[in-house]
Amino acid sequence: MNKYILSVLCFVLYAMGVSAQKKTVEVSGTIVDSEGLPLIGATVIVKEKPGLGVATDIDGKYKIALESFQYLVFSYLGFENQEHLVKDENMILNVTMQESKATALDEITITGMGPQKKVTVTGAITTVDVGTLKTPVSSISNALVGNVAGVLAMQRSGQPGSNTSEFWIRGISTFGGSSSALILVDGFERSMDELNIEDIESFSVLKDASATAIYGSRGANGVILITTKRGNDGKVEVNAKSEYTWTTRTRTPKFVDGLTYATMANEARVSRNQKAVYSDQELMMIGEQLDPDIYPNVDWMNILLKDGAPTYRASASVKGGGSRARYYLSGSFLDEGGMYNVDKTMKEYDTNANYQRYNYRLNIDMNITSSTLVQVGIGGSLEKTNHAGATSDNIWYSVFGYNPVTMPVMYSNGYVPVIQSEEGEMLERRYNPWTIATQTGYSEIWKNTINSNVTLEQKLDFLTEGLKFTGRFGYDTYNHNYIQRRKNPEMWRAERQRNSDGMVVFNRLVPERLLAQYSSASGDRKEFVEAEILYGKNFDDHNISTVLKYTHDNYVNTSNIGGNIMEGVARRHQGLAGNISYGFMNRYLFNYNFGYNGSENFAKGHQYGFFPAYSAAWNIAEENFVKDNLDWLSMFKVRYSYGEVGSDNSSSRFPYLADFGNYDRNTGAGDQSVYYNWGDMNSAFGYPGLTYTRVSSNNVTWEIAKKHDVGVDFYLWGDKFGLTVDYFNERRDGIYMNRAFLPDMVGIQGQNPSANVGSVKSEGFDGNFKFDERIGDVGFQVRGNFTYSKNEITEADEMVNRYPYLRRTGFRVDQAKGLVALGLFEDYEDIRNSPRQDFGDSRDVMPGDIKYKDINGDGIINNDDIVPIGATTRPNLIYGLGLSATWKGLDFNLHFQGAGKSNFFINGYTVYPFVNGEWGNILEDMASSNRWILGENEDPNAEYPRLSYGGNTNNYRASTYWLRDGSYVRLKTLEIGYTLPKALTTRFYLDKVRIHLVGQNLLTLSKFKLWDPEMGSSDGMKYPLGKTVTFGLTVSL
Amino acid sequence: MKRKYILLSVIIGLGTFVQSCSDYLDVQRYFNDRQDLERIFNSRDYTEEWLANAYYQLLSFNLEIGHVRFTLTNYSDDMIFTEGGAGISFSNYKFGQYGPQYGGNVNALIARPWDQSYEGIRQASIFLQNVHPGDEISEEMYTDLKGQAYFIRGYLYWLLLRKYGPVPILPDDGLDYEASYSSLAYPRNTYDECVEYISAQMLLAAEFLESDRSSRSASRPTKGAALAVRAKAYLYGASPLMNGNQEMSTFVDDNGKQLISQQYDEEKWAKAAAAALDVMGLGKYEIYVAPKRSNGGLWGAYPKTIDAPYHPVYSEKTWKEGGWKDIDPLDSYRALFNGDLYVSENPELIFSRGDNQLNDEYGIQSMSRHQMPVSRGGGWNCHGITGKQCDAYAMNDGEPFDRATSMKGFTQHDGQYPYLRKDVWLEYANREPRFYASVAFSGAHWSNTSARDGNNRDFQTFYYYGEDDGRKIVSTDDRWIPTGIGMMKYVNPKESYKDGTVYPKVDPAIRYADILLMYAEALNELTTSYQVPSWDGSEIYTVSRDIAAMKAAILPVRLRGGVPNFDEIGIGNPYNNPEELRREIKRERQIEFLGENQRYYDLRRWKDAPEEESQMIYGCNTTVPKESREYFYEQVVVPSVQTTWSMKKYFWPIAYDELKRNARLTQAPGWPSFD
Repeated sequence: MNKYILSVLCFVLYAMGVSAQKKTVEVSGTIVDSEGLPLIGATVIVKEKPGLGVATDIDGKYKIALESFQYLVFSYLGFENQEHLVKDENMILNVTMQESKATALDEITITGMGPQKKVTVTGAITTVDVGTLKTPVSSISNALVGNVAGVLAMQRSGQPGSNTSEFWIRGISTFGGSSSALILVDGFERSMDELNIEDIESFSVLKDASATAIYGSRGANGVILITTKRGNDGKVEVNAKSEYTWTTRTRTPKFVDGLTYATMANEARVSRNQKAVYSDQELMMIGEQLDPDIYPNVDWMNILLKDGAPTYRASASVKGGGSRARYYLSGSFLDEGGMYNVDKTMKEYDTNANYQRYNYRLNIDMNITSSTLVQVGIGGSLEKTNHAGATSDNIWYSVFGYNPVTMPVMYSNGYVPVIQSEEGEMLERRYNPWTIATQTGYSEIWKNTINSNVTLEQKLDFLTEGLKFTGRFGYDTYNHNYIQRRKNPEMWRAERQRNSDGMVVFNRLVPERLLAQYSSASGDRKEFVEAEILYGKNFDDHNISTVLKYTHDNYVNTSNIGGNIMEGVARRHQGLAGNISYGFMNRYLFNYNFGYNGSENFAKGHQYGFFPAYSAAWNIAEENFVKDNLDWLSMFKVRYSYGEVGSDNSSSRFPYLADFGNYDRNTGAGDQSVYYNWGDMNSAFGYPGLTYTRVSSNNVTWEIAKKHDVGVDFYLWGDKFGLTVDYFNERRDGIYMNRAFLPDMVGIQGQNPSANVGSVKSEGFDGNFKFDERIGDVGFQVRGNFTYSKNEITEADEMVNRYPYLRRTGFRVDQAKGLVALGLFEDYEDIRNSPRQDFGDSRDVMPGDIKYKDINGDGIINNDDIVPIGATTRPNLIYGLGLSATWKGLDFNLHFQGAGKSNFFINGYTVYPFVNGEWGNILEDMASSNRWILGENEDPNAEYPRLSYGGNTNNYRASTYWLRDGSYVRLKTLEIGYTLPKALTTRFYLDKVRIHLVGQNLLTLSKFKLWDPEMGSSDGMKYPLGKTVTFGLTVSL
Repeated sequence: MKRKYILLSVIIGLGTFVQSCSDYLDVQRYFNDRQDLERIFNSRDYTEEWLANAYYQLLSFNLEIGHVRFTLTNYSDDMIFTEGGAGISFSNYKFGQYGPQYGGNVNALIARPWDQSYEGIRQASIFLQNVHPGDEISEEMYTDLKGQAYFIRGYLYWLLLRKYGPVPILPDDGLDYEASYSSLAYPRNTYDECVEYISAQMLLAAEFLESDRSSRSASRPTKGAALAVRAKAYLYGASPLMNGNQEMSTFVDDNGKQLISQQYDEEKWAKAAAAALDVMGLGKYEIYVAPKRSNGGLWGAYPKTIDAPYHPVYSEKTWKEGGWKDIDPLDSYRALFNGDLYVSENPELIFSRGDNQLNDEYGIQSMSRHQMPVSRGGGWNCHGITGKQCDAYAMNDGEPFDRATSMKGFTQHDGQYPYLRKDVWLEYANREPRFYASVAFSGAHWSNTSARDGNNRDFQTFYYYGEDDGRKIVSTDDRWIPTGIGMMKYVNPKESYKDGTVYPKVDPAIRYADILLMYAEALNELTTSYQVPSWDGSEIYTVSRDIAAMKAAILPVRLRGGVPNFDEIGIGNPYNNPEELRREIKRERQIEFLGENQRYYDLRRWKDAPEEESQMIYGCNTTVPKESREYFYEQVVVPSVQTTWSMKKYFWPIAYDELKRNARLTQAPGWPSFD
């Protein structure tokens, strides 16, 4: 099919090779900047003849031959273009270029329809200065938080290879399908995590319905548009950057030493009238380290982790070209080191969590004729992640589980210690941290991605002026290979008493396992086709542009798709979208968009959805009364948009199809056990019982968001001060949910048909400002942004409930819910006078245990008293504040980032001390803080309740007592750079040399101290986030 | 000129493009070869499989007879169980907790019968909508399949009705699970509406079903089965609990409509009698009897027939003539339950699940294992019989058992009294044959002839304190029977769980004896005569309290059990007095249907449960050791199996979650409802 388009277009091109002959003249000269320095590689072209052009040489000189009576255009990046008319004689034309002064009116915004002047934009779009994203992070998603108005993000892990951030545009407004944004790289849906940041040319975030309507189907959660760099005609530009980073940790949980652990274990037992775990003599042996085989004192965290790890990044790019063809070529390399200690005696392989990535990209633009442009882009990445044979989660499970006194790292006779034998899920998770991180073999993950795309732009001015056709085709493949090579040594545990000979008695708990291999693979393939016809023209003060666009895309998993036929079918979309914009004198702007989109996942008749959007803007600053009186007001635009956007991101494939099988819905039993024999005794005249294993949900269709946006753009004194603020309001209906509360009477127990039932309302603000000023040689900029979003479930699939607060409706998505704690019980009198706490055996409640509020007043505290408390686990407020300054070659950049309005519960066996007996280490905070201690500190407002050994059902439940504030402010980036004087660098034929020093996450301020609050982790059992210092060098020539 | 070509090319190009795009989202080709309803009902095998799944819902929690974890209603004032804390769980059950202590999910006993039934109803409804004759299914087969689906649907409603009382009757097409929750909320229908609906389903079933089954279809319902279920539903509808019962005036739907009729209507009894007559009129069923056995020893699995005491009427006549001269009453009765008779060998069996309940976890096999002694039988020794049930069995001459006048002391040697071995308490002597087929009293003979080890065959089990199968020092152990009276029914005489064979047993879901007794019971309630059409309208029955008819119906059941008809015992003629006859019929049902999931529901429909079920359970004194064994048999209240009665125990509750999901559903009286 694409073949046809190409052949048709080739034919079109051939038809247009027409030209005429005129007199030729020769022009030469020198191009200099305002300081008189020659500009190397400035381009000189003949206007409207892109094939004809030259670039200046190293002295800034050029020479060009052209036909008479034409314009020459002089251009150089960062300078204003100049045009000069050449008459019919040879001449010398020296040009002094003026540095360009961008104004608000010239600022370009990348929209779904292509680049557009900011002044004419009517939707809510944030264009991000790519420079601010270029911090030394391995994934661009980590740079979004606090940098981009409208994006809420959080990073959950620091492990190399998995240290990306989750982010949501304007928060989360659904709970059914996916809430993640659509990411388009060069117009195609691609991941941005494996992108090389240096390759990014522009980055914009489309937030409201009018901006995303053109993507109708998938724009409901917002769209991120990324374009990669392309070559430009003129001088060859070479850029290289190299960075070295040292990563340490922001906050790692700290655990107690052996003696403190043992003393607290005794306290936990004694305070519940149980026998102490350790005798005084044993405590002394632990304290003095008299018998480290049986009474060791190990700092497991220290055994597991190094102080820091290095990361090395390098990238290089070349771009250039002439007026006929241009190119951009880049390559980059990243090597991120893991923080685990390794067994140095083991040379054969590495067990550390390392991550390496190679990227390349080649973008080529060719003007085949004066009206035909072909763009080809190829990019790819190869990633390799390495880690121990055991999974990362299990390593953290283990290091939080081993207490300092139960096991040494290695018994003195060389035996490997282990806390318990392998049973069920305990397999591997309970090896000691050193064993699990270094002695379990190793795993490798390889991922590789290849992206390719071709774009053809054909101006159709010969049909009518301003008409243009663009066709795009993209093809991506991705594959992922996982190989685990797993083994473990023989493991032992010593008994706590030596035998009569004074020897340690060992029990073998885990047998040795020799190296065995496990592997898996997955992969996918994507194809995209787009064809659009654009028409844009100015008629005096009127500006009209329209776009009509056809798209389809195809996504299919190519391996590891199992036996389900549905999983082997490609996910497809098809759509027709259009846009009509009308502007009058850049003053009154109107915009209508529509998307008519189809998804293969729905039943016929429900496949297509129509998503219209409208927007309008009034640029008050263009009104004459403003222009005449308030000339400092460069732009004052008020915008409004409304539109509908759809999402088909339902996890269930082809919900309208039913499945059949031999199945017992109640027990889940299948095949042979579901059988009815109609024969007599001891005979077999029966049949298996066939029924629905999945019922069909015929009416499932698009999830639809109705979005309103009101925004103000405000620019003063050119672009010295800019402010954009948007209020948004969204209602998401028809959210995908499974109907889990059908009466059993319906007769399809255990089957939850899919349906569009949920509804969420969300609203919020986002905005950003910047202020640039230059005083003498010092230039500085202050900038800031914030995003706040709040949602409420207005409808969800749920049962009638006696207590409205137990429902989801009326509360936020991900609302934290728990009991309300009223402090700790003071004494038995207090317990007797309070409602019965009905968790486990209510007679076990003692003074120093958590006292809860009886919400429903029924005299019993139970699960009916669980109410919404705090905010959501993911932040609802993100803000950033940046300051940068330049002075001659020096530049300085400071960026603070913060998050607020989030809460999370802490739990697990480190937060609930001794909940699993000897399994679970004790946080230092617990030992040193104001803790309830029998007879010593019976403070009803203590931070931790009475200890208990082996768990306490009353204390260890989600409540305000364990709810923590997830808000934080951190010094995200501190950067100092120095650019060597040009006079010096030109001597080495270098254009620009800059050295920089960047610190990231240097400072974190938060109420929560146990681990990094950004992770939002309830137990801290995650690879910690990094605090980094980077030294780097950038060279351009 | 040139432009024309360009335009033409563009149009052709676009045309081709649009053409190839128009089916871009079509995925049907991937799914053409998948299973779908059309394919299922075009294939005979798949059609049968679909139906099998509906039948499958008659198992586990919808079994008539099985383990307590599934069929709690089999335990009323007649049987006890000790599973879970030596009787504590039985007491909890008696106090109205159908909860988790029997194992399984917290709500399984309450919710699962409901779930399973409605699931099967949907399955049958889909079947009825789709089944059609075709290449693989003949017209004849289609008719019978349809009849089966109607039967299953009606039968599942019947099971629901019996347990939960009036339930919502759903549209025949099934509910649309894509409809809004509010339109999926259905209220209960009245009891009478439910009965009429079941009757209508069964009439359709009877119209389509075959009358006879070969052994390869022995467990499929027949015309007779459909009519029998209809008769049962009518009988329940006529019974005091549902017929003009003002105590149930609070049982209403969400609009306040009374679900149980408040006006007594005698005609309902007439309809019930006529419906029973429909079954009898088929002439297909008869009471099973085993021939008299003249060989065989005194003990072993199949001993020589022991004659009933001489009776002038019955002892001289053969079975065909209306006597017991040529039959073995013990064998005749026990063979119905112990697996000796297969489904197609039993002329009395009207409907059975056949061997589909052969599961150690829940079926009859599981129950018999729970009755078997631990020590030498390899059983669990935890199901027993109450003293009340034990005393209800008459003497072998048909006179009631009377403890005051009964013999005391112990047998001196094996065979001193029929069926008794040495050292057996004399109150157990000279009882009717059904007693010996049903009760495992202390010292009863267990033949267990399939056991490989001789020690485990032909042994006696005593339940004295400290004995292997008696109460132990650790009294929380479940493996002893708190009443000191075990149960023999369903145990095959050859069976051994220890080192022998286990015999599959037939599920006696509906048997002819039940129809006969129902017929007599219904006639007995009539004070005038009624004209009722037969099921197919072919004739009009005139039904009234016809003593001859009642006598004729009851006689075979009594004779097979080796006891004279009520008027031939020599202590009066209860047929002349409706109240006396009612009492006799109730007692007869108690004896005949022990452990067949009847007593529990009978006591409720008669409204006798408040009295009968609230009585303390008495039994032998299990704290007495062998040394002072005569005190063991002094009847005492059994402390570990408490009982009580409350209104809520008439009908089962509906699970809390279901009430929350179906806002129009109302809770049965006495149970916490959801507001």
